[in-house]
Amino acid sequence: MIIEIRTKEKYSGSEEAGFIDRMAHAGLKAKAARLSRLYRVEGDFSREELERLGAGLLADPITEHYSLSQWRPGLKGWRVEIWLKDSVTDVVGESVKGAISDVLGRPPEAVRFGHAYYVACASETRLRHAVARTLVNETVNKFKIEKL
Amino acid sequence: MNDELSKFNSLPPKELEALDRAAGWSLSALELAEVQRQFSGMGRQPGRGELETIAQTWSEHCKHKTFSGPVVFRDGKRVRKYKNLFKETIVKATRTLNRKWCLSVFTDNAGIVEFAKSGKWGLAFKAETHNHPCAVEPYGGAETGVGGVIRDILGVGLGAKPVLNTDTFCFGRLDRKYRLPKNALPPERVMRGVVEGVRDYGNRIGIPTAAGGLYFDDGYLLNPLVYVGCAGLIPVDKIEKKVVPGDLIVSIGGRTGRDGIHGATFSSANIDEETSASAVQIGHAVNEKKALDVLMRARDLGLYNAVTDCGAGGFSSAIGELGAETGARVRLEKALLKDTRIEPWEIWVSESQERMILSVPKGKLKKLAAILDSENCEYCVMGEFPGDGRLLVTHGEERVVDLPMAFLHGGVPNFEKPAVKRAVKFNSKAPAAPKAWGRALKALLAHPNICSRHSVITQYDHEVQGGTVGKPLQGKYGDGPGDAAVIWPQAATLDLKDLSGFAVAHGFAPAVGRLDPYQMALHSIDEAVRNLLCSGADISRTAILDNFCAASPRDPRVMGDLVLAAEGCRDAAIAYGAPFISGKDSFYNQSKDADGREYPIPISLLISATAPVEDVRRAVTINFKQAGNPVYLAGASLRGMGGSVYNEISDTGNNAVPALDMKAAVKLYAALAKAMKAGCVAAAHDVSQGGLGVTLAEMAFSGGLGAELDLAPAPRGKGLTSTELLFGESPARLVLEVVKGREREFQGYLKGLPAAEIGRVSGEPRLRVAGLFDEDIAGLKACWRKELI
Repeated sequence: MIIEIRTKEKYSGSEEAGFIDRMAHAGLKAKAARLSRLYRVEGDFSREELERLGAGLLADPITEHYSLSQWRPGLKGWRVEIWLKDSVTDVVGESVKGAISDVLGRPPEAVRFGHAYYVACASETRLRHAVARTLVNETVNKFKIEKL
Repeated sequence: MNDELSKFNSLPPKELEALDRAAGWSLSALELAEVQRQFSGMGRQPGRGELETIAQTWSEHCKHKTFSGPVVFRDGKRVRKYKNLFKETIVKATRTLNRKWCLSVFTDNAGIVEFAKSGKWGLAFKAETHNHPCAVEPYGGAETGVGGVIRDILGVGLGAKPVLNTDTFCFGRLDRKYRLPKNALPPERVMRGVVEGVRDYGNRIGIPTAAGGLYFDDGYLLNPLVYVGCAGLIPVDKIEKKVVPGDLIVSIGGRTGRDGIHGATFSSANIDEETSASAVQIGHAVNEKKALDVLMRARDLGLYNAVTDCGAGGFSSAIGELGAETGARVRLEKALLKDTRIEPWEIWVSESQERMILSVPKGKLKKLAAILDSENCEYCVMGEFPGDGRLLVTHGEERVVDLPMAFLHGGVPNFEKPAVKRAVKFNSKAPAAPKAWGRALKALLAHPNICSRHSVITQYDHEVQGGTVGKPLQGKYGDGPGDAAVIWPQAATLDLKDLSGFAVAHGFAPAVGRLDPYQMALHSIDEAVRNLLCSGADISRTAILDNFCAASPRDPRVMGDLVLAAEGCRDAAIAYGAPFISGKDSFYNQSKDADGREYPIPISLLISATAPVEDVRRAVTINFKQAGNPVYLAGASLRGMGGSVYNEISDTGNNAVPALDMKAAVKLYAALAKAMKAGCVAAAHDVSQGGLGVTLAEMAFSGGLGAELDLAPAPRGKGLTSTELLFGESPARLVLEVVKGREREFQGYLKGLPAAEIGRVSGEPRLRVAGLFDEDIAGLKACWRKELI
């Protein structure tokens, strides 16, 4: 199960502007963007328990929303999902694994940490180029791009 | 590979070379032949684990073969021979100076000098590089670089408590478009990853990152340089360590995995398209913090006799080092593993992070285990130090390594390296004046090697531990460029009444090195000492670190640069009375692209310097403080624009490097130090990149005050032009704001020395230099304060 955390719209302006600027440096003109963090939690947990993790552990309830299903930000464009390769030690994932164990009283099998970027732009090819140039290092990362 | 290993001793050179390449050992033909000779003498073939151990122990990273080997240097017809370049230059300076406040030099993981007057504390300081890993994976490479140098401080003596991290990076220019080779990451991507890696590790472990720098040059496009440093405090009675035969080998901290295999041998090779991703290590700051907390508690209870960190070469280097005299008996099946799909030899050489090795008396293991459990820090007992001088490593019934320590640590062959002085044509014609002085100053302030580093600095927690007195960003608005970090390490001493601190600063001048490596070393040491002086430190007790980075030393011109820079280090250290206490070198910073073209870095020497600050409340900052205060320029401005930033934005054709007069500089600084100690100086800032114009602008806009200046009285060399005076980068110069009413006293300290009043601080926010320019300080600041990332 993936728990997705995103900044509430009224607070997300600067992170989105920073991302659009980064993309512009890499040659991509993005009209709009939304960002989120992803936690893939593997283990036998009920929906209620996962809700508890999203609301109480992973999201800041003042500035962030969480969701257990993939977010639909209402942008026309692409969704970029980036993870560390499975063979690469995921330090954030390990820490969250420990925290989940503390919160729920039993550890998950694994936790992996990733990012999702929702990008409104004209060209998937250019987006792929910009992502490879700025957001990922294919030595350690894997990524996929889906049309929204 | 097993076939080749079974007949290793009889393999011909070509097959040996192919085997070396396939295994990733980076051993030379001479070294491979020596290994064959040794094992033939033993009457058996080596095992994979033994060859891996030899490759790690004899690697450039662990043995520093280039710097500590014999060199023949040719400068035209003149020839100079060195048996051991490092000992005859860097170590010689320290031995010549023989400072009694140096408590441990060149023998441990870091250098240690006396700290404060109580006699209870030593200050450990170390800097190293993590260049090759950062070229492949910037974030992970930078994180583990920081983690590694922190572990050096944890592993010096019986363990020091880290109180400061430093970082200095070199990248390709961000503002240029390159056609990069396939295997290269763009410089912006490298920089972002490196900065984030340093930020995440330093911030999570709770050590302030408060000193360093950034430098951009096309020479670093494929080989970024990532210098990371750490300083820590250690009780003087915890500096000695000694493994006692019978002690247990205890590994604490992280688990062992396949990450980072061949990191040490990787640093003995040029990066190319075939570079293995397994050389990348991944850092885990929280695990290292647990190990840190355990060590500090166990050290104070005397629960171990020796400690060192698992760095390059992993267990093989750490246990090999600790057991160099006693030998070691290691059972690899006891190691805690991340992954069970790992070969015994991989466990032995893996560079998984956050591991420390302790030498623990059997009777103290129980108490140590209780502390480890209470800090939630994993550990395992891997064997013992037997006292027989033999390294025996097994995994169950399998014998992985069985070698005499004397062969491992003394058997590496070395060979004479040729070195030549590069021919450089110098031109000292008078540089033309810019069309508009103000516009030229603004262009300099916006240059990537001068502009504000706030977008990087503000990502680091430089306040954690509550002792950062001299901050990286200073001035009225907290955004001016500090010359040195001043640290009050009360978090380590736990003594709020003791106001002793220390300053840390750097000197770095690769642009000068392209023209004159000897002067580069002099300028770098001078700049570092001057930065310390500007912060109010006692520079008579300056201690310095050398970190050399160069391209392939197989090129005699690269070796020539190294020889000249090392000679410069020796001469300047002796002249300034500043001993080297530790250092590191990194070679083979040279990459090939897909077409086989070589991209070497310029010779790069980072000097990191530290000196005590008697009372941190009296530390000095760079910003103008008070309208009406007189402004002085100390130090003579000399002819020559070589290595200057101005030459980059407007090539004057003059590439002469101003030669540093060390004797004059030392005399001047001693007098200035007295004046500063007496409280005559309200602000001080060194003249470095961008020259005097940039220094004045930074002091003005950092203080929110202007200045009315006339440079006519400025001390100068014969024939100096206004361009050289304002934008040249001749060394040994400082600008000082003197407290109004104390001018006479100040002048008394500087009698007979090259210093002159050049004007006054002004309440009007304009920087006016008579006959040259008149600029609004807000406009100057706007040019300087741009976002790098």
